[in-house]
Amino acid sequence: MKYSEITIRFCGIAGDGIVASGKILAGACAYIGLHVMVNNIYSAEIRGLGKSSATIRFSTSKLYSMGDGLDLLVGMVSKESIIDLRNVKAGGNVIYDISTIGSVAEEDSLVSHITPEIQGHGLPIKKLANEATGTNQGKNLVAIGAICYFYSLPPEMFVNQINSVFAHKGQHIIDVNVKAFNLGYEYFKEHYPLNNRFEIDKESEPRALTSGNDAIAKGAIDCGLKFFAGYPITPATKIMEIAAKELPKLGGWTLQMEDEIAAIGAVLGAWFAGKRAMTATSGPGISLMSEMINMSVMAEIPTVIVNVQRGGPSTGLPTKVEQGDLNIALYGGAGDSPRVVMAPSNSEECYSGIQLAFDIAEKYQTPVIFLSDLFLGQRIETVTIKENIDRDRCTRKKPTSEQLEDFLRYQITDDGVSPMVVPGEPGAVYSTTGLEHSVTGNPNYESDVHSMMTAKRFRKFESMMADLPHANILGDETAEIGIAGWGSTIGSILEGMEIAKKNGVKTKLIKSIMIHPQREDLFLKFFASCKKIIVPEMNYQGQYAALLKSRYGIKPIEVHIPAVEPVSPLKIAQKIMEANSELSK
Amino acid sequence: MSFLSKKTVLEEFEKAKASKTKQWRDNLPTWCPGCGHFTGLHGLYEAAETLKIPPKDFVVVSGIGCSGRFPFFIKGFGLHGLHGRAIPIATGIKVASPDLTVVVVGGDGDGVGIGGGHFPHAARSNFNLTYILLDNSIYGLTKGQISPTSPMSMKSGTSPYGNIARPLNPTTLALAYGATFVARTFSRERDMVSELITKAISHKGFSFIHDLSPCVVFNKVVTYDSWNDAAVKLPEEHDTLDRSRAMMLAESTDPIYQGLFFREEIASFDDHVQMVKDGLNQPD
Repeated sequence: MKYSEITIRFCGIAGDGIVASGKILAGACAYIGLHVMVNNIYSAEIRGLGKSSATIRFSTSKLYSMGDGLDLLVGMVSKESIIDLRNVKAGGNVIYDISTIGSVAEEDSLVSHITPEIQGHGLPIKKLANEATGTNQGKNLVAIGAICYFYSLPPEMFVNQINSVFAHKGQHIIDVNVKAFNLGYEYFKEHYPLNNRFEIDKESEPRALTSGNDAIAKGAIDCGLKFFAGYPITPATKIMEIAAKELPKLGGWTLQMEDEIAAIGAVLGAWFAGKRAMTATSGPGISLMSEMINMSVMAEIPTVIVNVQRGGPSTGLPTKVEQGDLNIALYGGAGDSPRVVMAPSNSEECYSGIQLAFDIAEKYQTPVIFLSDLFLGQRIETVTIKENIDRDRCTRKKPTSEQLEDFLRYQITDDGVSPMVVPGEPGAVYSTTGLEHSVTGNPNYESDVHSMMTAKRFRKFESMMADLPHANILGDETAEIGIAGWGSTIGSILEGMEIAKKNGVKTKLIKSIMIHPQREDLFLKFFASCKKIIVPEMNYQGQYAALLKSRYGIKPIEVHIPAVEPVSPLKIAQKIMEANSELSK
Repeated sequence: MSFLSKKTVLEEFEKAKASKTKQWRDNLPTWCPGCGHFTGLHGLYEAAETLKIPPKDFVVVSGIGCSGRFPFFIKGFGLHGLHGRAIPIATGIKVASPDLTVVVVGGDGDGVGIGGGHFPHAARSNFNLTYILLDNSIYGLTKGQISPTSPMSMKSGTSPYGNIARPLNPTTLALAYGATFVARTFSRERDMVSELITKAISHKGFSFIHDLSPCVVFNKVVTYDSWNDAAVKLPEEHDTLDRSRAMMLAESTDPIYQGLFFREEIASFDDHVQMVKDGLNQPD
């Protein structure tokens, strides 16, 4: 069979080198110019208890999601892999470990569950790993060697990757892993005829790989991040680790604080001092930050908060994806507390979007909540990021010399933005507060002042419209079925739309990195042109749908997916087909 | 009983204002007559004056409570933050702009109650901050409820049958947390307050001042009189490098010692950052 797209899953227990398998395969594929997307699924426990899997999808054309189904399942351990058999496509393949057969009970044996429409291939994974490394390590490389032969991929690209992934562990580790790879390759060559061939365009250039978390960290640093304060939390910690390593080289610093309240507090302090600062967190952390976000609103101190969403509520599902934090991002504060909410849908938007977040926060003196999610944050994908490096970027409104004469920190202006001086700069001093205040910043509780100041804080959201990107409309403009989506679900929606198109149903999508504020004119026009509107998202309540309903008065078909895995494009396609058949009734 | 009357402090304030540019705040302190906080404010004025800190480089950060209003009465930048969160905000300011002089001012509820989780980490990190905790053993701005430093059995609106918990001692906490400058003052002693605040600001590293600052309106148990009778200066021979001896003296409730308990000059947070920036510490 000839393939131009393949999805492979490695299934093992935590500590089995599953993540490294994904890394090597992804790196190798990207190196020969393929498009790749990798999703790791693991449990919240570190070793011994949890199952871990890495799914790698690679293709000769652009990928938007993890797709549906597996072409190949690699069962590094027997029992834990059984449940993944149901994801294998009809006609798909399974590689199982024949060196463990007999040592596990039949009901726990992967091979005894393989159904006739799936083809099983035995490989002595553990035995060959032992032969190569003298330990149980290297199982993943034995399997990768077999895969390389199985799809007739060039072995050199893998050897390259092994060298780079294990470079920090020394030559011996590299050698035994290459040996494990070769043993797997040779075993398959000896025992199975070459039936499959993956189409490779030899002219393709190597592609860059990144994760959403990496892209956010890099985007922030490239646009002048000087200070990061955070508290470790899955799945956002990676952003902090990058900042901790990179910022000192650029004259900045990263602080691990005692909790998330302290983290956002320090970030506000740094912004008060005129420095671009950021924190990154997830559900439990953003909950703790809500009072400080309100302080940012009231005192008009800029701040940027990345929330890499995971399953909730409470501690929830730390290692699973969900888009359940839209409501807390939009409304999680006492009083009338407007804030900017953004949601990137892929790694490219993580990079460019976080830079926009900084520009908006600084210019309009407002909190910006940047909603990524676990899938987007951790998945590794091939990208084309347009670098934009300017580490001295500053969009703060500074006072004119006239304004400095009698400095009013909260001067009433047409656009709602008042001039801001920062400590260390000569000219004027002021004090700020989370209390309602007059134009000087002094506490003031008069009704007129409160009305005037509240209106000023909201007015900024009108004036910032000019700086915001347009909403994009993708798909077929003439379609009667319209979809509105947000965040990483967009990728699954785009592939669902492709499937529907192949089935003769036209659709279009409106997507915007801006959740609030939004280009309402464009959304209204889009919705007016649709006979059916579908709003899919990864939560139980339909949080984005609720926003769109109240904002635009629409009555959409809501698709609520309280997710633990990325959304299936087939599921989206199915909803499109349903809507289509209702239309033609 | 001898303490600064509001009148005296206002005179001081006017004097200070007259001697400065117009950037001195026009705001008059809002505390009740007799409040201990006037002495702390005066001490901060004196320190800024003595150390010639330019207002543009002077930042005072506070939490919520009576002491929270400090930023509105000083000449410099001020941030009246959230209840208990002055320390992390000040940390962000100082780490982002190390050349600034950053002083944190807060009360007992703010510092060892709601914000009690921040104090140890600022101390052990040896950030170059000065933290003045004005302790009146009461929640004054909410009109008199027990605080983490209120004595046992003290009755209040929220402890009508008497306080059941033992009081915290902020001085011993600071010593235990590893603060590198620890002093206790009493708002009756104006000169000592000014002198120690000045020393604290000059100290390189985390400096802590536990200022006993009575609430004359709501606290009928911990008062000028009760502290007056017990407060004495530290023995002259006390060695300020002896942390365990300092701890013993700080634990004493009769007498209550005032003065500089402990001071050591070790690498501050800023020094560690400099070492990294100079390439002396590398990641693996």
